[in-house]
Amino acid sequence: MPYRLTRAEEEQESSDRYPMGRRQSSEEYVKSQLERNVFTGKLSDVLNSAVNWGRKNSLWPYNFGLSCCYVEMTTAFTSPHDIARFGSEVIRASPRQADFMVIAGTCFIKMAPVIQQLYDQMLEPKWVISMGSCANSGGMYDIYSVVQGVDKFLPVDVYVAGCPPRPEAFLQALQLLQDSIQEERRPLSWVVGDQGVYKAEMGSQREQKRSQRIEATELRTPDKL
Amino acid sequence: MSTDALDRHAPAQSGIDRALGLLDGFREHIEHVQPTLTGLPVLWVRRERIVEILRHLKAPPASFSMLYDLSAVDERLRAHRDGLPAADFTVFYHLLSVDRNEDLIIKVALTGGDPNLPSVTRVFANANWYEREIWDLFGITATGHPHLQRLLMPPTWHGHPLRKDYPARATEFDPYTLTVEGQQTEQEALKFEPEAWGMQRERDGSEFMFLNLGPNHPSAHGAFRIVLQLDGEEIIDCVPDIGYHHRGAEKMAERQTWHSFIPYTDRIDYTGGVMNNLPYVLAVEKLAGIEVPDRVKTVRVMMAEMFRISSHLLFLGTYLQDLGAMSPVFYSFTDRQRAYKVIEGITGFRMHPAWYRIGGLAQDLPVGWQQLVQEFLDWMPPRLREYELAMMKNALVRERTRHVAAFTTTEALEWGVTGPNLRATGCNFDLRKQRPYSGYENFDFEVPLGQHGDVFDRGQLRIEEMRQSLRIIQQCVDHMPAGDYKADHPLTTPPPRERMLQHIETLITHFLQVSWGPVLKPGESLQMVEATKGINSYYLTSDGNNMSYRTRIRTPSFPHLQQIPSLMRGGFVPDMIAHLGSIDFVMADVDR
Ligand code: SF4
Repeated sequence: MPYRLTRAEEEQESSDRYPMGRRQSSEEYVKSQLERNVFTGKLSDVLNSAVNWGRKNSLWPYNFGLSCCYVEMTTAFTSPHDIARFGSEVIRASPRQADFMVIAGTCFIKMAPVIQQLYDQMLEPKWVISMGSCANSGGMYDIYSVVQGVDKFLPVDVYVAGCPPRPEAFLQALQLLQDSIQEERRPLSWVVGDQGVYKAEMGSQREQKRSQRIEATELRTPDKL
Repeated sequence: MSTDALDRHAPAQSGIDRALGLLDGFREHIEHVQPTLTGLPVLWVRRERIVEILRHLKAPPASFSMLYDLSAVDERLRAHRDGLPAADFTVFYHLLSVDRNEDLIIKVALTGGDPNLPSVTRVFANANWYEREIWDLFGITATGHPHLQRLLMPPTWHGHPLRKDYPARATEFDPYTLTVEGQQTEQEALKFEPEAWGMQRERDGSEFMFLNLGPNHPSAHGAFRIVLQLDGEEIIDCVPDIGYHHRGAEKMAERQTWHSFIPYTDRIDYTGGVMNNLPYVLAVEKLAGIEVPDRVKTVRVMMAEMFRISSHLLFLGTYLQDLGAMSPVFYSFTDRQRAYKVIEGITGFRMHPAWYRIGGLAQDLPVGWQQLVQEFLDWMPPRLREYELAMMKNALVRERTRHVAAFTTTEALEWGVTGPNLRATGCNFDLRKQRPYSGYENFDFEVPLGQHGDVFDRGQLRIEEMRQSLRIIQQCVDHMPAGDYKADHPLTTPPPRERMLQHIETLITHFLQVSWGPVLKPGESLQMVEATKGINSYYLTSDGNNMSYRTRIRTPSFPHLQQIPSLMRGGFVPDMIAHLGSIDFVMADVDR
């Protein structure tokens, strides 16, 4: 599986722009470990899986909303959708206690430095879900006061399409994030192995579901319920 | 159309006479009486006397006790100005008299490179933010303003976005980047300086604490910031800071066609859905001279009331949550899910259906809608009873909310407060009754009123309003008129498809109207509606184009937030949180 590697303490080469750290494509480094020593390779694999399993099933979201999308995000937290089924009902009001942040809404130029600060206050490991067209790309707001996509300064793990996405779409994004966390390779300790963060390239759902989508030939007409 | 247009002008004419009568002593300062489709008298007066004129109009007998709106227009590119006084910029004051149920728009023409006019903050306290807004967005100076600073844009911003020579699109600027240094400068610029607001840092040798609440705080309902000056728990003073949610909707209207701006209106009060479409399409229809069929009116009322309920339910959940009750939000969101089932069944979308069209609706009601709506109507009343029993009759809630953050009708009018927050003070002013639009005059419903104007009344009142909305929807279900879902008018957009299929000429017309959108005659129109949070209105200026020349969106939440300091001085921090919960605001409805 191809991975994307982020090195945290890479010495800065002239750029001080967010997102911080350097990213590069990489091969799964476990493989190379494995080649060197079958036993340690296997062991770290098992350990990684166990740690990732724990991480992905208790993701605590940061209670953070920007605009309309946040309403649909909160809807996912309430009883009809019940996010507790996925272990993410523990909303934290402080970024320091949260595992992931959902950029639910429009990212404004006036707000961007604030978002960056809140992100910096979250502790590693941390993830970002970009919810809704505005956060993904500026959406329908190509206007002077809006940042055209939160990924201009934050590293995003999952993008959710929609304006606003349904609560179900948000729940799916959460599960996609969990899948991606399962594949992640992070340093197991500050003395064990490579210190980089390896994130799996998960591929877009649009590509993966294409065949399923074009199978649909009959659509419901809008004059019936 | 013509008789209807006459009808709409008729009250304006008597209004103009009355307005001129009230301004008898200022005759020589009135430059022009502008005929518009707003239905209100519009008078242009000389800049020098604006403060005196407004002071005169505020006092009896005119008693225009509320400054309903204040904004500006960049006139420099306007082609059709027939007869209007020469101006580079125009500032307008929309005054409202609740006693006489009458409005008046006063305009002031400004010329030259450094537009300025005297501040009217000493007459109307709520002019403060509006004047800061026109300084921020138009670069118009209000001389004598106590604190003329940017309101919506960041303090480090350059230029005035609503000027016609300012680019609209983000993609016309360099792509956004955030550097470590830039991050520090921006954060530094947001730092609160008490001295700049004339605040003391200490009293009798003990220091005050300055608490920065927001722009991200769980009980601030979005990107809202308020800086508190505290002596222990007591709030000495506070300064709200807004603009973290400014999406430039008014600028957006100047580049979207009349038709394609509709989706942007949904996102102004984003819990209000199609309720936001209503004032906009009604104002456009006034400009176009379209009279819609009764079926359209009734469906519009029905869907708007559905959204009022869903918005009030969201209010109820978060209001009680801010008071510390965790579970109500789970109940009320279950109900909202039910409401969405209806909304989605009919419009095909949950939050932002953008379902109203110029001259009609996007489509007709689907087969079987009655049953769908009826299910919801049967589901809600017992739930509302339960809310009342479990929450509003709860001794804890009562103790916590009674006489907290209370204000009187006079104070409310002084600050431009409208909607349920105004009615909680006992003032009977509901546009659906006072100035019926879209056929509200045909419905039988009551306007619930409060007595004390406190946090409790604001909550209780909304439960009662939901009951009344259910009543209105029930009448829609029982008496839905038959007929078309679009007006038969050349400017109805999109035009009926059957018309396009006759020959090439009709095809071309259809194509142009769909791709370029309808072209509306030059003119000005305005429509106010009783939206979920208060009075929302769209003031449209057409310059004979396929898009608006200027769209002013007056939102209720803006003045509601401006009122906070006057109310909270001397209060306690938890009371302010309770008050924030009871205002019912969303930031998009403040910053647009
Ligand atoms: S994507 Fe749509 S719903 Fe979400 S914040 Fe943007 S405008 Fe609102």
